[in-house]
Amino acid sequence: METNPIITVSGLTKIFDGGFAALNNVSVTVDKGEVVSIIGPSGAGKSTFLRCLNGLEERDRGQIIIDGVPLDHNRKHRLEIRTEVGMVFQSFNLFPHMKVRDNITLALRRVKKIDPPRCRAIADELLEKVGIPEKADSFPQNLSGGQQQRVAIARALAMNPKIMLFDEATSALDPEMISEVLDVMKNLATEGMTMLVVTHEMGFAREVSNRILFMDNGEIVEDCDAERFFSNPEESRSRQFLSKIL
Amino acid sequence: MIHRRHNYILDSILLVLLAGFFIWVVYRLKLGLGYTWNWKVIPQFFLRVHDGRLQMNVLTLGFLTTIRLSFWVVLFSVFIGTFAGILGSGKSVFFKLLVRTYVEFTRNTPPLVLVFIFYFFVGSQLMQVIGVEEWVRNSPLWVKDLIRVLFSTPERFPEFLSAVLTLSLYEGAYITEIVRGGLLSISKGQFEASHALGLSEADTYVFVILPQVFKNILPSLTSQAISVIKDSSIVSIISIQELTFQGMELMASTYLIFEIWITITALYFILTYTLSHLAGRLEKRLIR
Repeated sequence: METNPIITVSGLTKIFDGGFAALNNVSVTVDKGEVVSIIGPSGAGKSTFLRCLNGLEERDRGQIIIDGVPLDHNRKHRLEIRTEVGMVFQSFNLFPHMKVRDNITLALRRVKKIDPPRCRAIADELLEKVGIPEKADSFPQNLSGGQQQRVAIARALAMNPKIMLFDEATSALDPEMISEVLDVMKNLATEGMTMLVVTHEMGFAREVSNRILFMDNGEIVEDCDAERFFSNPEESRSRQFLSKIL
Repeated sequence: MIHRRHNYILDSILLVLLAGFFIWVVYRLKLGLGYTWNWKVIPQFFLRVHDGRLQMNVLTLGFLTTIRLSFWVVLFSVFIGTFAGILGSGKSVFFKLLVRTYVEFTRNTPPLVLVFIFYFFVGSQLMQVIGVEEWVRNSPLWVKDLIRVLFSTPERFPEFLSAVLTLSLYEGAYITEIVRGGLLSISKGQFEASHALGLSEADTYVFVILPQVFKNILPSLTSQAISVIKDSSIVSIISIQELTFQGMELMASTYLIFEIWITITALYFILTYTLSHLAGRLEKRLIR
């Protein structure tokens, strides 16, 4: 067992207005290079958990440390974490008024202050990587859903993050486009990127990830090796969930 | 085809009725009021020969003042509206209440009353405190020339400035509401994606949110800018020599009520129609 945690979460609790506990005392560590799939029924707190990790959601209790930097009220820490953690959303969230290339380079220009020619090179390289180099000058609305999501991945990768969060990245896609996005994600995983993936794609979870977090009611019910989770889950709630979807 | 022909007949009837109405108005003026038209004198109010040189006369000067006034008011009120709109949509309750108070107070007060309040406060107190008049008087010639081109005559600059500020605050309240509506139309995902990329709050607004907001609210902004041009006539009451002021002066001295007001109407129309035409073209380009 490697002992090189890049994410350390302890006692994470998030209570929404109205008293609903979306996350209840969640503790977990993730090692560098691990690909973790987070699965579970809707309302289990999977997305909330992911969104807490980069500060999109404020937690009520607990501690989060990303690559040695605590996520607290220190602005410098927050910015460091935001740039080191890339995120891909269910609804892509590309900037509709910008060309694909500008979508990818905006943060490079404004946050990392990299000069335009270098930005351009990075963008073209990333578009090559996600398989749509010819779309650099298109606007997002002229792209298919799968292409848009691949641009979103390229945009997140541009900041050269150490961790990538995928929040149901394929849930809004037509079936025939899911695989093109999953392929990009698989390639990332084999390159050694640390990934946390909230997904309903059990095939992906089983094949690509090496660890499963099964969540229900704001808690991590089962945390184990991917192969074991699908072949022989320990908890009854996991078995119930699997019997429903497989 | 039958349908088309039917429309032609209807159109012709409407046109005849419309023409009849105008002929009737002119006829009534002539017969009822004994009005004698005298269009010949109007051109000299645009340009006149003075000391053997061609000079701009009151209508041209008023027209230019209205343009300058409207330009600065649109610029400032968009600034005010953008800032207040963003602050009013934010999380801070303090700023929310502040913006609400500003908007409600301004929208629910007659503009003429506001002009008086602001003018006598801003004009007589604020301008003195910041010493605009003295600054202009002591500034070099080229600054005075610049003021003459961009604003008004140097002597009337303080009045002009308080008129611009007053109208900007008034129109700014409406633009605040327009911007707030525009911000509501932007999905939360745009803010979240910017946050996740590490963009600062300011960069998020400048590069991601506001470009989309302005594209969405351009039609409403255009109507507001047209309102600015028309509302700018209010400040004739505080002796800003814009188009309406010049019209009233001319009318008092010539009694050519209809010629002068028709001319003034045409001048306002040229301004507002040009603006909506340009905005329409801009809109088409943005939507493309």
